Amino acid sequence: MSVSLASTTPPRSDTPAQPGESATVTPFPVKVQIRNVGFHYGKFEALKSVSLPLHDRRVTAFIGPSGCGKSTLLRILNRIYELYPNQTATGEVLVDGQNILSPGLDLNLVRAKIGMVFQKPTPFPMSIHDNIAFGIRLYERLPKSELDDRIESALRRAALWDEVKGKLRQSGLGLSGGQQQRLCIARAIAVQPEVLLLDEPASALDPISTQRIEELIAELKSDYCIAIVTHNMQQAARSSDYTAFMYLGELIEFDETERIFTHPREKRTEDYITGRFG
Amino acid sequence: MAAEHIIKSYDEELARLNKTIVEMGGLAESQLAAAIEAVAKRDSELAARVVEGDAAVDELQRELDNLAIRLLALRQPMARDLREIFAALKIGADLERICDYAANVAKRSIALAQTPPIQPVHALPRMGALALALVKDVIDAYVERNAEKALDVWRRDEELDEMYSSLFREFLTYMMEDPRNIGACTHLLFMAKNIERIGDHATNISEDLYYLVHGRALTEARPKGDKSSLEVVAPDRNGAR
Amino acid sequence: MQLYVRRRLSNYVVVGLSLAATAFGLLFLVFVLGTLLANGIGALSPTLFTLATPPPGSSGGLINAIYGSLAMTAIATLIGTPTGILAGTFLAEYAHNNRLGDIVRFINDVLLSAPSIIIGLFVYAILVVPMGHFSAWAGSVALAIIMVPVVVRTTEDMLNLVPSALREAAAALGAPKWKIIVTVTYRAAVQGMLTGVLLAVARISGETAPLLFTALNNQFWSTDLDRPMANLPVVIFQFAMSPYADWQRLAWAGALLITAAILVLNIGARLFASWSGLEK
Repeated sequence: MSVSLASTTPPRSDTPAQPGESATVTPFPVKVQIRNVGFHYGKFEALKSVSLPLHDRRVTAFIGPSGCGKSTLLRILNRIYELYPNQTATGEVLVDGQNILSPGLDLNLVRAKIGMVFQKPTPFPMSIHDNIAFGIRLYERLPKSELDDRIESALRRAALWDEVKGKLRQSGLGLSGGQQQRLCIARAIAVQPEVLLLDEPASALDPISTQRIEELIAELKSDYCIAIVTHNMQQAARSSDYTAFMYLGELIEFDETERIFTHPREKRTEDYITGRFG
Repeated sequence: MAAEHIIKSYDEELARLNKTIVEMGGLAESQLAAAIEAVAKRDSELAARVVEGDAAVDELQRELDNLAIRLLALRQPMARDLREIFAALKIGADLERICDYAANVAKRSIALAQTPPIQPVHALPRMGALALALVKDVIDAYVERNAEKALDVWRRDEELDEMYSSLFREFLTYMMEDPRNIGACTHLLFMAKNIERIGDHATNISEDLYYLVHGRALTEARPKGDKSSLEVVAPDRNGAR
Repeated sequence: MQLYVRRRLSNYVVVGLSLAATAFGLLFLVFVLGTLLANGIGALSPTLFTLATPPPGSSGGLINAIYGSLAMTAIATLIGTPTGILAGTFLAEYAHNNRLGDIVRFINDVLLSAPSIIIGLFVYAILVVPMGHFSAWAGSVALAIIMVPVVVRTTEDMLNLVPSALREAAAALGAPKWKIIVTVTYRAAVQGMLTGVLLAVARISGETAPLLFTALNNQFWSTDLDRPMANLPVVIFQFAMSPYADWQRLAWAGALLITAAILVLNIGARLFASWSGLEK
């Protein structure tokens, strides 16, 4: 990555995980440490002091009923909420020990480091080629051949190359929903982020496209720290290593996915994942 | 059980699963009780009914398996529900084995009834009564989802093991005293072994129930009372008598 | 069954009334177009495009008025389009939820529905009177003022139609706001915005009242923007009111030309709006 975060706070080299969290000893260090993060929409408190780690090269899933704050949390991680007025976040989000919520940081560099893919596919109204080139051109001025190579590798990484290689100059809007979503993932990874946020990336797709996205997530996790918000519990179970259950703006339980889906500690988690939510 | 599912038919199917287990448990109890009675009273007719009755249990187990497979495929159960179904499958298999052993005891009692009665026969119903109590308690524990009660059954199996060890020695003595006893004692020995195995299956059920309730395996080492497999009969000692 | 019959009957009644109302409206439209064609076709001749407006009693054409209309509309468009698009962008992208935006939006709406004669009077007061004479500049400014609120409105509406997820997606890549607007949002809304501009052009090309106060008229060929300039609407107004048959025929021809031009602009706008669907 040619971009590095310039910060007013000195970077901390070691990020302690939560006490009692066995995951600190895994070979997958904590990439993002979320600490006491709160959030307000105007006067409404949407998040109440949430703390959890996101491990590098692992997938962390966020589940919970609508309005539990899981998407809100994701939108804090790349500060996309700042596009709108009256939304404020408190607490710390340490990426490699550096608090990205601190006001001194260059917002656009933060976002370049933390890619995001949204619920509905959002191809820009331009060609497939330009969709991918858009992000790259924001930070780098590459000769054409090099740019084309980057675009090809991003599309290959997103398992879309074979389907679009002959029509890179055609509009990205002409692709199917599943292809559009993979285009968006390719676009996100083309700028070589370190963290990838997926906000219900498959909820608008058919089952086959959904499985392609899940397979893609499994592929991508060897390189990225991935956080995924999903309404689909089976999807969380299938594609994540850690699962966080949120309810009414609070983190109820965070644990290894296997544990959450076989014997969660909290009754509320159990009730939710077994479909007993009243 | 916990609060109801949003989807009511899911609850109904889980309830059916539960009911099938309890039904199998009831059958296991009555089969075992009848088999022991047949031994004690040398009642070949009753024994024959027990042997025939085994088919009903097999049928129930097939039903249970189908129900569980269906639930796994269609409901994608998670957490507690998943453990319920997983435990039901294992408990069903254990109950089926218990009934097989009971049927085998009944079958041997028919052969035993043809031989003249021998003294140690009376020890067998005592052992059977204990096994029956273990089965009954573990089924109750299942109905109540009571892991403590299950743990109690799990510990009491030691007693059964000890009874089996002492019976084993007793039968050996009888056989050594009088070779004419060998036929009857061999049957009795197998019956005792079957009843001891029933106890082991009851402890399996306890372990499954413990996992179902607590979501983790019962790791504590179980006390072992059965030393018969270490028993050695020295031929010279035999000849010395 | 009774209920069903009743529902069907009331359905027939409502459909019948709607058809009647549509027919009523269309009838007048056809009537207007028919009259225009009947009177205008005969008046069309090549000399319309070669000769300037004549004095009473001699023959002539409309070339000075056509040129004047085109020139003033073009200048008004050059002034009005960027102003309107920038203001619309401000309202949609920067002042979405603030007080200043609300005020600007309200004033724009007032301007949008202001009678054009008031705009004419206003420009007369601030430009024509201080300059001491009518001019094409003043006419262009008046037309631009009429055009701006239309463009502001359509631009804002079209930009608001662009899903916010698209902006978020661009922002998530680290693009600064101005870049998002220029490279992504405008592209997604370009068809609608240009359609709005075309419709605004159609609107001003038929305006008479503001030109009466500003550009007035000029019987002779003139390209001097600092002087009064002939234009179709005012020529039509003057010639149609005149007692001379020649002038009246020219007025009909001019009316037909304007109508045709507006029709072409409207059809063009429609084609443009649906063009995005064909692009795939």
